[in-house]
Amino acid sequence: MPENESTTDFEDLQEKLLSLKDQEGLIGYILRSSKSASIDLKDPSKIIDYAILSSAVFGESQKIASVLDLDEIDSIVIESDEIKLLSMTINGFNLSVFMEKVVDHNEIFNSLT
Amino acid sequence: MNRDPYAVALSNALTEIQTAYPDINHSFIFTQDNTIISQDPKIDQRTMNRIMESFEELKEKTKPIGDIQNFQFSTKTGDFTLFAVKDMYIVFETSENSDKNQIYAIRKVILPTILKVVDTIAASEVVAENHLQTEKPPKELTVDLLSGFFAGDAVQIDLETLLEIIKTDDQNEDDDILENIDHVRIETFRGDSTLCKVKEISDPNFKGKNLVRIPEKICRTLEIQKGDLVKVKPLL
Repeated sequence: MPENESTTDFEDLQEKLLSLKDQEGLIGYILRSSKSASIDLKDPSKIIDYAILSSAVFGESQKIASVLDLDEIDSIVIESDEIKLLSMTINGFNLSVFMEKVVDHNEIFNSLT
Repeated sequence: MNRDPYAVALSNALTEIQTAYPDINHSFIFTQDNTIISQDPKIDQRTMNRIMESFEELKEKTKPIGDIQNFQFSTKTGDFTLFAVKDMYIVFETSENSDKNQIYAIRKVILPTILKVVDTIAASEVVAENHLQTEKPPKELTVDLLSGFFAGDAVQIDLETLLEIIKTDDQNEDDDILENIDHVRIETFRGDSTLCKVKEISDPNFKGKNLVRIPEKICRTLEIQKGDLVKVKPLL
């Protein structure tokens, strides 16, 4: 894929994320390409923890999918008592969106894909 | 938590659920210490171990957001769902066209309902067992009639007999209980019973004879007469 197209895709995605950023219940996101990352979290002190989590979610999910002979992953959801994490790969970019549990992650998914 | 009744209930439930919902390809249940409680025969031990290892890794990394209650991902060829129930985790692998509403209903309604029922049964078994261990059998005493103007409405039992009825292993506890007994239940062998005030037998001629002196009007109510046997239980 040509580099400028890939950069445009990345920027388009960032724009969509910016438009969602102030939605009630959204905590932030981590967007990664092979060369760069864009992080926006309400609590900057959590950047490292959430970045490690985001990476692990993609990695371990893929391992399970391989063991079960499943195809490429469309989306991943992890919920704790209060927080939900939606992870997906869009145009080759790994995106993790952190939100409060009450947020409808399907709406977020649909608005980004 | 005594895991056994929950494990058995969930295991049986999963078997039936998989029969009813053929979209569920694989399922198994494991505990927080990675003991497998239930599995379907189509999934091998190695696969389950690898899934549990990955989940263990994920649990470590998700500590900043709290304990995982639900973990799922979807692909073009199937979905994976892992969710927490009590101190166990249940795993489903479902086909790509599975009804997500059904899986949601199993997670949020069916399995929690089963667990609630098991909870209730387990709790009532504990209460029944405790009750059985602590309840003393009622004392059988012979009826003597209390008649006349001064009969009153209290039954009379002598002190030694009352002590025998309430006896525990602790003398102090016996004394406390004795002080606080003011009612007993008189029950006939037909099953009729009534609650009565109780006093110590006043007439020494009636002490030590395993008697319960009952006012005439109570005898009429219970349809008993002098010489009949009745069961006496203290109200504590």
